[in-house]
Amino acid sequence: MTKQIPNIAGVIVLLFLAAFPLVYGAADYDYIMHIMITAFFYAILAASWSMLSGYAGQFSFGHMGFMAIGAYTTGLLCHYIYLSPEPTGLCTETPFFGQWLVVVNPIGVTSTTLTQDCLRQAMDAWGGRVEVTRMPVPLGILMGTIMGAIAGFLVGMLVLRLRAAYLALFTLGFSEILKATISAEIDITRGQAGLELPPLYPDGVTLFGTYFEPTDKLPPYYTMLALLLACLGILAWLAHSRFGLFVRALREDQDAAAALGVNTTRYKVLVFTITCAMAAAAGAVQGHYVQIITPNLLFLLQMSLVVAMAVIGGIENFVAAAIGAIILQVLLELLRNSFVIGGIEVDMTIWRLVFFGLLLMITLRFFRNGLIAPLIAYFGRVGVAEETVAKRASTLTGPGGGPHRTEAPD
Amino acid sequence: MEFPLLFWGVLAWMIFWAVAGAILIKRRYLAQDLDTSNASFIGAMSGAALGPVGLAAVWARTPKSSGYLTTALGLLTVLIVAVTFSFADPDNICVTSGGFVASQFVNGLIIGIIYGFMALGLSLIFSILGVVSFAHGEFYMIGGMVVYFVTAVFLPGINPLMGVLAACATAFAIGAIFERLMLTPMYHGKIDRPIEYGILATFGLAFTLQYFVQALVGANPVKAQRFIEFPRWRFPAEADPIWIKTSRGSMTLFEQVTISSPRFTAALTCILVLLALLYLLHRTWTGKALRAVSQDREAAAIAGIKPDTMNMLAFALGGMIAALAGALLVQAFSWLPQVGAIPAMRSFVIVVLGGLGSLPGAFLGGIMVGMVEAAGTGCVPDPQKAASYIPAYGMIVLTLTLLLRPTGMFGRRFASGAHGQF
Amino acid sequence: MIHLKVSNLHKQFGGLHVLKGVSFEVNGPELIGLIGPNGAGKTTMTNILDGAIKPSSGTVYLNDERIDQLPPFEVARAGLGRTFQVTRSFRRMTVLENLYVPALAMGHAHGKARLREKAMEVLEFLTIDHLRNEFAQALSGGQQKLLELGRLLMLNPDVIILDEPFAGVHPKLMEVIYAYIRRVNDEGKAIILISHQMDSIFSLSERLLVLNFGDLIADGPPEDVKNDPAVIEAYLGAEEEETA
Repeated sequence: MTKQIPNIAGVIVLLFLAAFPLVYGAADYDYIMHIMITAFFYAILAASWSMLSGYAGQFSFGHMGFMAIGAYTTGLLCHYIYLSPEPTGLCTETPFFGQWLVVVNPIGVTSTTLTQDCLRQAMDAWGGRVEVTRMPVPLGILMGTIMGAIAGFLVGMLVLRLRAAYLALFTLGFSEILKATISAEIDITRGQAGLELPPLYPDGVTLFGTYFEPTDKLPPYYTMLALLLACLGILAWLAHSRFGLFVRALREDQDAAAALGVNTTRYKVLVFTITCAMAAAAGAVQGHYVQIITPNLLFLLQMSLVVAMAVIGGIENFVAAAIGAIILQVLLELLRNSFVIGGIEVDMTIWRLVFFGLLLMITLRFFRNGLIAPLIAYFGRVGVAEETVAKRASTLTGPGGGPHRTEAPD
Repeated sequence: MEFPLLFWGVLAWMIFWAVAGAILIKRRYLAQDLDTSNASFIGAMSGAALGPVGLAAVWARTPKSSGYLTTALGLLTVLIVAVTFSFADPDNICVTSGGFVASQFVNGLIIGIIYGFMALGLSLIFSILGVVSFAHGEFYMIGGMVVYFVTAVFLPGINPLMGVLAACATAFAIGAIFERLMLTPMYHGKIDRPIEYGILATFGLAFTLQYFVQALVGANPVKAQRFIEFPRWRFPAEADPIWIKTSRGSMTLFEQVTISSPRFTAALTCILVLLALLYLLHRTWTGKALRAVSQDREAAAIAGIKPDTMNMLAFALGGMIAALAGALLVQAFSWLPQVGAIPAMRSFVIVVLGGLGSLPGAFLGGIMVGMVEAAGTGCVPDPQKAASYIPAYGMIVLTLTLLLRPTGMFGRRFASGAHGQF
Repeated sequence: MIHLKVSNLHKQFGGLHVLKGVSFEVNGPELIGLIGPNGAGKTTMTNILDGAIKPSSGTVYLNDERIDQLPPFEVARAGLGRTFQVTRSFRRMTVLENLYVPALAMGHAHGKARLREKAMEVLEFLTIDHLRNEFAQALSGGQQKLLELGRLLMLNPDVIILDEPFAGVHPKLMEVIYAYIRRVNDEGKAIILISHQMDSIFSLSERLLVLNFGDLIADGPPEDVKNDPAVIEAYLGAEEEETA
């Protein structure tokens, strides 16, 4: 019975998260919702990163890079690609199923160059006669995810021979190159000024008869939550299938796994592709939600936030990593206040990340499975102990995640 | 329009043949079953320098290619790029002004020495602990912070040397304490995956230090005074051009090359400390013990060396070196809590280029990176874009080195254990 | 019918000639001992047969399929399994999971229950079934060797190369390994046994191969090989040869 506690707790948490935006009604509704959406975003990143680095042992510091690939792909597509019923005669354009696919020319960041926008000029000439359509947001997100998967595939192919510190440095280098490129190509990406994206639901959305504005938080909340659950579902399915078994074998000993018939190349590339696609999808959705993306997404400190969340949650258990990310993100926001100890005022707004860092180091040193994963393990283990003859059960984990007993997946 | 066409055309040609060379020559070595660790590199260099002809020559002469040949081919590659550049963009200041080139060269060399020095610390840590310290930039930042606060805030007017010494002591202490608390357990079998743990632990230190300093002192840019003001001096007094002319803040060589006092003192101090470090490593018992541990922990332990002490010393020394670099450069560049990120990235590039764990490699790699950077900032036509792309140049070198020759220029192959495998 | 054919295998590392034209054949479920002084090329040959490194020249055929250019996982699927000199279990996976890896990689899975049954049967035979839910790293060195042998049973190859299976193993477990070798051999698999423990080699193997400095200097029944002057010289006169 106690074995079911993680499952029951999981269902309760899910119901709570699903019902939260409907029942919560305080004045800071938008703020709290924003925190939750960002928390889900980090949860996806932390979960996919823990699958890649903790579960499969491919220690990558480039995860934010893939996230940015997703965000910038959809951002650039929505920014530059339009569908017009008539040719503009000014832009680069090709016929496309009876309409015209227009590629707007890059004009950089200065406002005086706005007149150089070929589509705007054409629309002025039409005088409101012609309606152009932007790239649909879901298609942009899909393209972003695909681009993330492709990039993950390529990086996975390149790093086949690299392990540990070398892999960490390579992926860090990849992420930095990407950041420099985005910062430098101001004409196209608008650099530090930031690339503006259309909102997730540009025309608003009607759910069960209620209309929501594009700026309302409820639709993006459910979108991000759904994406998180989808990612966790896929990861859980993978972990319980032979894929999970093989990537763990890969992590433990690549040569031994190969000698036992595991196609190590395939699984290494596959795990990169899948987790990077998830990061890219999260980045694309988040990009549309906040409506502006900058190369600062790629700062190493952003990556360290994800790493810290995953480690504190439990680096080898992606469910724990996701939960850890949500709790920590909420906690970090709630800590934006100050308190007084012994006459000294401590402004938590600036000190909270220091405590976060200390928590990270303490977790690393003393709780190698993180703080959340052992909780899941504790309850998940009760049933196991009865079943096995083994007296000293090691770090076993319950449903959903990492080092757990795979009972003969098929 | 002529510039991009010619230049990029030649560059594309070189890249194409370099890639072809890297793949083909490696295949060739594999087929003949020779040691392939240099093969891709030689192939890439010959392809880039001489195109199909060079490839054919190396192909035919396999395996008679030496390190000298590779170096020569590498230099030739650089030369071809330079010549193409001068043809493609004849009005560029790098082509027209010899003085500018000399000035860029000297300043590149100086920055390179400081970078190399800092990377040396990273390499020292890796060669002994087998850990890439991701907190290296934070040590650099701490160095600058301590100097600024000692010399400008707490004790204004104090000799800057005191500030530098305080910076070194602080970094040494942080490094030693961190190593003892966090990294020592790695070597006692208490940690499941020591390599990943080492990366994460130093990453955690970087995170904590970064936000700690931000919380402590805020994030406003500050700058320290020049440590040393040159006396007014001309030598020789009557020559034309004057060989050396100094003013308070800078030194001019041959009326062409200007070196600022902060950079000069920084580079000079780095060289002196480097010599002291070499003395320590090669002439003292402690240094020999350090090197022994880097080669074989167990054997060193049997010989009566305490590997744990050596680990602590190495990490603290490595951190101190970074802090010293930061302390010296705080007079040249303004200081911010995030100031360590760029030198840290440079150090990663340099140690990978020079070979992880190789001390001479780190130093030479540093000089190379300094030079490339000077050429990049000085010569690329669009300076704004160039400035944004500079971090990328280094990282491209890093990723290519990891792919083509993971041992770097001078690296040794770490078999296994804490050092990890490729 | 198992047929492993190794023809004229050469391997050079730079200037070092490690294998100088080794040829032999394995026909049917033979139990072959492979011995040789340190540096004779035993491990190199194992690595070539396994696909971890490619030979400089020469071919390896297993059941008429050429395997010397295949990557290790395809060699394993073609029917050649090996253990490693230094035990390489998947340390942070349970004992059962260690066994599932080869079975699933080979596509031997016929449903959860049967897979588990098979794995349990293997573990019981190896006397480590009580450890089935332990992480492999909790096992003793000898138990980990047994686990490695168990993985080979799950892989179910035609030819098995055992690289020093007795090194550092408790005498009690040694008997288990003896029984394992005989059983696997009786099941119709060919075994190549590499060991420095002459007693075990001579008592177990039906045929002995002797490698010395990359040359196969003897191939025959153990009694003949024991008295072969070339073998005696290789073992007793090795130092002279090194200085020469």
